[in-house]
Amino acid sequence: MSMETNQTFEDLAQVVEHELFPDVDLALRRGRHIDREDAAWYGFLTDAQAMLERFYRRYGAELVQRTDGFFFLLPSGDKLGRRHLSPSEMLVGQGLTLLYLEPATVEQGGITSRDQLLSQLSASMGTEQLMLAFNAKKKRLDERVAQEMVRSGVSQAVRRLAGLGFVDLLPEERIRLRSSLMRFAEPVRGSGADLEALTRLVASGEVALTESDDDAPAGDDAFSPSAEADSSPDAAPAPLPGWSEGSEWGASFDQPEGDVDPALRTLPKPETPDSDSDSDSDSDSDSDSDSDSDSDSDSDSESDERGSEEPSS
Amino acid sequence: MPPLDPASPSASPSGEASALLALSSRAPKLELSTLDLCFLATLYLRGQSSGHSAFSEEQLFEHFEQAAQVVERDPSSVRKRATHAIARLRAQRLLSRVDGAGLMRAGEYALSRLGASIVSFFLEEEVLTAETLTLLTRTLESSLRDVLVRAGAATTAAELDDAVVGPLKVTVHELMEGIERRQRGLDLQQEQFQKEISALLSADWFGAVESCQTLLESTAATLRDLNHVLLSESHRLQAQLEDLQELASKTNASSAEEAIRRAADQIDRIAAWSAGRQKSWSDYYQYVHRFLRDVVRLDPSRALTARLRDQLSGKSGKRFTLAVASTPAPLLLRDVAPSPERPPVKRPRAERDTPPSEQAAVDPFAVLEDSVRQKLDAGAASLRDVTAQVTAELPEEERFRAAGRVAQVVARLARTRSERERPWLPVDEAFAIEEWTLPRKGGAAG
Repeated sequence: MSMETNQTFEDLAQVVEHELFPDVDLALRRGRHIDREDAAWYGFLTDAQAMLERFYRRYGAELVQRTDGFFFLLPSGDKLGRRHLSPSEMLVGQGLTLLYLEPATVEQGGITSRDQLLSQLSASMGTEQLMLAFNAKKKRLDERVAQEMVRSGVSQAVRRLAGLGFVDLLPEERIRLRSSLMRFAEPVRGSGADLEALTRLVASGEVALTESDDDAPAGDDAFSPSAEADSSPDAAPAPLPGWSEGSEWGASFDQPEGDVDPALRTLPKPETPDSDSDSDSDSDSDSDSDSDSDSDSDSDSESDERGSEEPSS
Repeated sequence: MPPLDPASPSASPSGEASALLALSSRAPKLELSTLDLCFLATLYLRGQSSGHSAFSEEQLFEHFEQAAQVVERDPSSVRKRATHAIARLRAQRLLSRVDGAGLMRAGEYALSRLGASIVSFFLEEEVLTAETLTLLTRTLESSLRDVLVRAGAATTAAELDDAVVGPLKVTVHELMEGIERRQRGLDLQQEQFQKEISALLSADWFGAVESCQTLLESTAATLRDLNHVLLSESHRLQAQLEDLQELASKTNASSAEEAIRRAADQIDRIAAWSAGRQKSWSDYYQYVHRFLRDVVRLDPSRALTARLRDQLSGKSGKRFTLAVASTPAPLLLRDVAPSPERPPVKRPRAERDTPPSEQAAVDPFAVLEDSVRQKLDAGAASLRDVTAQVTAELPEEERFRAAGRVAQVVARLARTRSERERPWLPVDEAFAIEEWTLPRKGGAAG
């Protein structure tokens, strides 16, 4: 199917009646990035862009098109649900972006493998730091188990990123990198200072800052290989905005501000009331048993794995 | 051993196995150093330039020396090394003696077919171009036309087989193999281009854009031309083969039909290769163009990669996370199907215990009395007679007990008399009783 549908839409009704609309709409609402590889969908979005932008604005969302050649939906209001990528998804996404920028990947036509991804992550972060990133909850690390956790965690994150249209999964653990990966490089793009681009992206809601490693509570990003892989990053449905007199009242008052640019405020720390007294201790006592035992305490961190949900109001 | 024809019946799994077995039993192996290969190449090139395929021993030494100087720049002990090299190449059947003079004089040597093939693989620039392809297909077309003329003149199946099978196997087959060999050459060249593009970008990121685009354009143009030539030529070739096939069918020339079918398959394969290569190269072309435009041109100093790497390693920058839409899939409620009415659980209404009913009781003593009475009325003369007759109807284990009751009933119903000497007489084999006589009323006792 050609990329351009060469169809001119007179009004929104024609767009909605188009056969591709239901699939494209659902994909966008689920966080899918649509690029030129999705030739038909991309062509439809290009043709109907003006009308769809107005359409989604009524839902408090922005249909964003990047010059790299991809679309995605960015909810900014409270009518559509949204979530933030988990730390592991961010790590893997950035590693994949580095591979996307590598000349060696050009030779393969943008196709890489899980091994190359692991090698890239290990080279960029260092093996120790990589293992710590995927085993944050563990007090004592058995090397073999920790490495297994990294491998399974990376695979799980890749599957989720594939669900969002950042990569395609091919047979034999090969991965086709897509141009939408450039979103991971967006905050460090441009000739100006990094902070400038980041501030702009945070202000637009496209990016949120997270805690630094030192501040992050233990277990923010611990991986569970046994955790159910969820390629569809569905969040809880966004509740309808209700009447909230208390919150509305006083909203117009000036908020006390510190020195920090409001755009650069970080996401709140996830609640982990007993992150230190989790059941990790018993699992670590026998680190050779198997990875299941190591992951017994990770079910509570599944929400962290999926990233922080932002249900409306 | 002749090479296996992929289309021949011997190319079946069992044929392959036997061919492999035969090959392995001969334990062939090749060991060639760079100098050996260059020596062979020197012979090959000299043979082509001079038109002579055979070399004297002196010429061999001379050519080896030239190759050694180019490859190793070490002229020491060249003659000795040449002797070893020639022996090694002869043992591996890459070089063969062709004069047949034996001891009589110094020999003449030539590259074997194997040696020439190896060298031509490394040397040949035989990649498919629009010019070579046009030339080859035109020659192929001309050969097929000749075959068609000869086939048209044939009147019998044998004549048609002779006219078709040989030329198709030799001329047409060789030409098509020539095309396929050049296709493989082009495949290799494309692979080299992909590596070259990657190497160019690695060496000079932004400066390589132009050269990369030139490489892409040249290959794309070659493939486009090839596809165009093949599309037009293959139709003509197939049409000629169809005419041949029709002639073969009319005369029932099965061998010719088989040869024509194989040639048609080969042409289809060549056309499919062209379409496939153009598609895959088109994808690659678009990908690299996008990469050059979106990545290389927008980041000429590779600063983006460096910053992203620093970000990933935590050396610089603030940690961030991307926001994505996350609306759950719409819930589809199932249709409510009314559950079937189930009967309530109840106790059975009918009484399980049936009430007792009155039954006439049988008095065994009365029965016995009746029986005794009947025996007495019948004229039994003694207690033993009555007892024997009554107990004969009873089971054996009850007879002894019943005998006492018989005596009681007899004593009540009849007059009895016993002798002073009371005799004990057996009733049956099991027991005996004291005998009473039973006198009749108004008469002498029985």
